[in-house]
Amino acid sequence: MLDTQRDGIQEVQPEKVLRFTRGERISHWVHASSFFLLLFTGLGILSLSFRPAMVIFGGVQVARLIHRLIAVVFVVVAGAMFFIGDSRYHWEWLKSAFHFTKADWQHISAFPKEFFGGHGDYPAQDKYNGGEKINSLLTIFGSFFITVSGVVMWFSTQFPAGLVRWAYPVHDLSMFVMTAAVIGHMYLGLLHPDSRVSIFGMLSGYVPTKFAKAHHAAWYERVKNQQRAVPGK
Amino acid sequence: MARKTVFVDTSKCTGCKACTVACKEWNELPAEKTHLVTSYQTMKDFTPNTWTYLTFVEKYQNDTMNWYMRKAQCFHCAEPACLKSCSSDAIHKTDSGYVVIDQDKCIGCGYCVENCPFGVPKVDEVRKKAYKCTGCIDRVENNLTPACVQTCQPGALEYGDRDTLLPKAKARLTEVKKKHPQARLYGEMEMGGTTFVYLLLDSPDVYGLPLNPTMPLSLNLWQDLVRPVGTFAVGGAAAAVVVGVLGNLLKGRYSSGSEKKDLSDGSKQEKGGER
Repeated sequence: MLDTQRDGIQEVQPEKVLRFTRGERISHWVHASSFFLLLFTGLGILSLSFRPAMVIFGGVQVARLIHRLIAVVFVVVAGAMFFIGDSRYHWEWLKSAFHFTKADWQHISAFPKEFFGGHGDYPAQDKYNGGEKINSLLTIFGSFFITVSGVVMWFSTQFPAGLVRWAYPVHDLSMFVMTAAVIGHMYLGLLHPDSRVSIFGMLSGYVPTKFAKAHHAAWYERVKNQQRAVPGK
Repeated sequence: MARKTVFVDTSKCTGCKACTVACKEWNELPAEKTHLVTSYQTMKDFTPNTWTYLTFVEKYQNDTMNWYMRKAQCFHCAEPACLKSCSSDAIHKTDSGYVVIDQDKCIGCGYCVENCPFGVPKVDEVRKKAYKCTGCIDRVENNLTPACVQTCQPGALEYGDRDTLLPKAKARLTEVKKKHPQARLYGEMEMGGTTFVYLLLDSPDVYGLPLNPTMPLSLNLWQDLVRPVGTFAVGGAAAAVVVGVLGNLLKGRYSSGSEKKDLSDGSKQEKGGER
């Protein structure tokens, strides 16, 4: 179906290229919004500096309840989206997160320079670059451990105290790792001058072709002919 | 106020349970329906209305029975795991050696419940508050003896300054050891030295007590490593972002024309995702 247009695209370059399908975007935002609600209510339970802010929910007891309700969304809805929201691309993402190439490592070593506004040297990156793969892994393992420890804490009477005691540091460690990661993630997606246009990949699904070429050339080369041209203007 | 101690001499305890009743009377805790658990024991665990109860162990050896009775309540540790685990600053320790839960600050999260090596604090699921023996802190701070000590008829409970009570406890142990060679003091060193010091007639595990109660390793890791390092890491990530934004601003990288164009184009594009 798409092949018919292939020849035409060579000359008239599309200005946009689809990076994330609707299913992927919904997954991302369900995960992100539930994460932030969990983080906020959780900090209200964990830290006295955040405790007063719980009046927003009507007190810390309501915040504790919301924390558990959202936890179900975080696990069940985000988990279900993996299978019902364009599952092929979710699997692709999962596989790529665990598959590090030489180009990924080169991106990671150039990453600090890039992060602070310099220009690092690294070869053409795939749909997910080395840094994004690290962020994916932190999210995957963070979500897994925070869920398992959270279940143990929620149903603490069903588990031996010796296990529940370990759930607390595991739950907090996962939170700290994911929070640190999301701060960097938001900076790169919203504030970094080179990479902030990538946010549109998570809003409309499309990123500028110029961005795709500059940041994900290997991926762009692979998909440019498969995708239907999105006429610019 | 000097460090106080309650010496529980189980060799003198007759299991009359008057301490439970006195506790309820002073702390205005209503009576509740009890059930026979084992031997003469009628409470399995603490409840929101029962902060101290008697455990009974019948140990049969060489055709004789040793009947071990122990008054159970909070030990009031010098190094309390509950206090260390509390995220609400609701547990504090007094100079007199008492560990008290502030009912206004407590949110009933149960961190103390899981971390106490003796399994003492519990959460009242109705009030959403943790509770346990207060040690009659309100009496103690007013120079009265705790209610349980006040009522104990056989003299199994004795209250006073730790410095004067510990030598007495040791002298009593020498005496009791003649008949019970396994007898020992429990709480002199455990958890930094507990305010309730027991003279047990046998090994602690016979009474269902931990042999070596300690601050849980997971609790130390949590409070001394994960939380400070984690806070530092999150702060570090935020600082890196600030440095990154400032660096890019100084380099003038936010003012390039092509960049603006890309942004405005992207925001106009509202295509549904199909591939």
